[in-house]
Amino acid sequence: MQADSVSVAGLRRGGMVLTLLGLAGLIFLFWLSFFWVSTEIRQGIVQRIFYVHVPAAWTAFLAFGISALCSAVYLWLRDDRLDRAAACAAEGGLVFATIMLTTGPLWGKIAWGTYWTWEPRLTLTLLLWFIYFGYFMVRHSTEDPEKGKRFAAVVAIVGALDIPFIHLSVIWFRSLHPQPVVVKPEGPTLPGDMLATLMTGLGVFTLLFFGLFLFRYALEGLRAEADLRARQSTA
Amino acid sequence: MRSLSPLRRAGLPLFLALVLLALGGFDGLGAQEMGNLPQVQATPSLRPYWHVFAAYAVTIVLIGGWAFSIARRLRDVEDRLSRTGD
Repeated sequence: MQADSVSVAGLRRGGMVLTLLGLAGLIFLFWLSFFWVSTEIRQGIVQRIFYVHVPAAWTAFLAFGISALCSAVYLWLRDDRLDRAAACAAEGGLVFATIMLTTGPLWGKIAWGTYWTWEPRLTLTLLLWFIYFGYFMVRHSTEDPEKGKRFAAVVAIVGALDIPFIHLSVIWFRSLHPQPVVVKPEGPTLPGDMLATLMTGLGVFTLLFFGLFLFRYALEGLRAEADLRARQSTA
Repeated sequence: MRSLSPLRRAGLPLFLALVLLALGGFDGLGAQEMGNLPQVQATPSLRPYWHVFAAYAVTIVLIGGWAFSIARRLRDVEDRLSRTGD
């Protein structure tokens, strides 16, 4: 019990440091986006949405990847800590995927003239959001919590299989969505200041995700302890 | 429900005006071409500015909302633990 308290305190301390760094970085990112980086010549001002949209997408995919990885190892080892980590990462992924799915249409309305179109990348991304929304429904849908955890782990793994298709969909299919400008064989084609702002965004969102993930994981640890005490008091 | 203080009543439009002014200053910055992205028709409206503002606001609200939600749940669990005692 003592060791758990220490680890929860450590998680919260680590979470606080990363979150505060992330918040400071977020302010810096907003300053870069609003006052420093140059305006894209063809799209104009609305291109600045790119500096939150792409980092949100990256963080969502990272979070869902962590969730799937922890779920796969959970199915193998049946260690509850891995299941908790998978659930925490999935929750964070859902938050950042919602940012991605909200900021993208705000850009699309100006760039394409419509908020939404059923083109491959958008459709697959929405599918990913629904799969991970389903993850939480499946988790709480069974009488036996252990069974719910196992089913949810399978959903997390299946959901993560969608991520490579989302990335490759703009290459494989005729897509309205812009082609990659950073992750491509010949290297990034972004001007230096735009690339620097984007990379800052990626770092900041990653810091924020891991900071809040640690808090969320500490919460799950405390919740497990509270449930254990409740069971002991009723026994 | 408490009403907003005069300072806050004055502060909100001032903040929005400053944001708009800041956004308006973008056109004066150097322009660069990003790559293979679609061209947006030149528009005299403020709509693109509002879309940028909304996108950044959504980002703050969702990340902040997640942080507040975690903090509230942490407090609830700590209350539960303190009720059951050590």
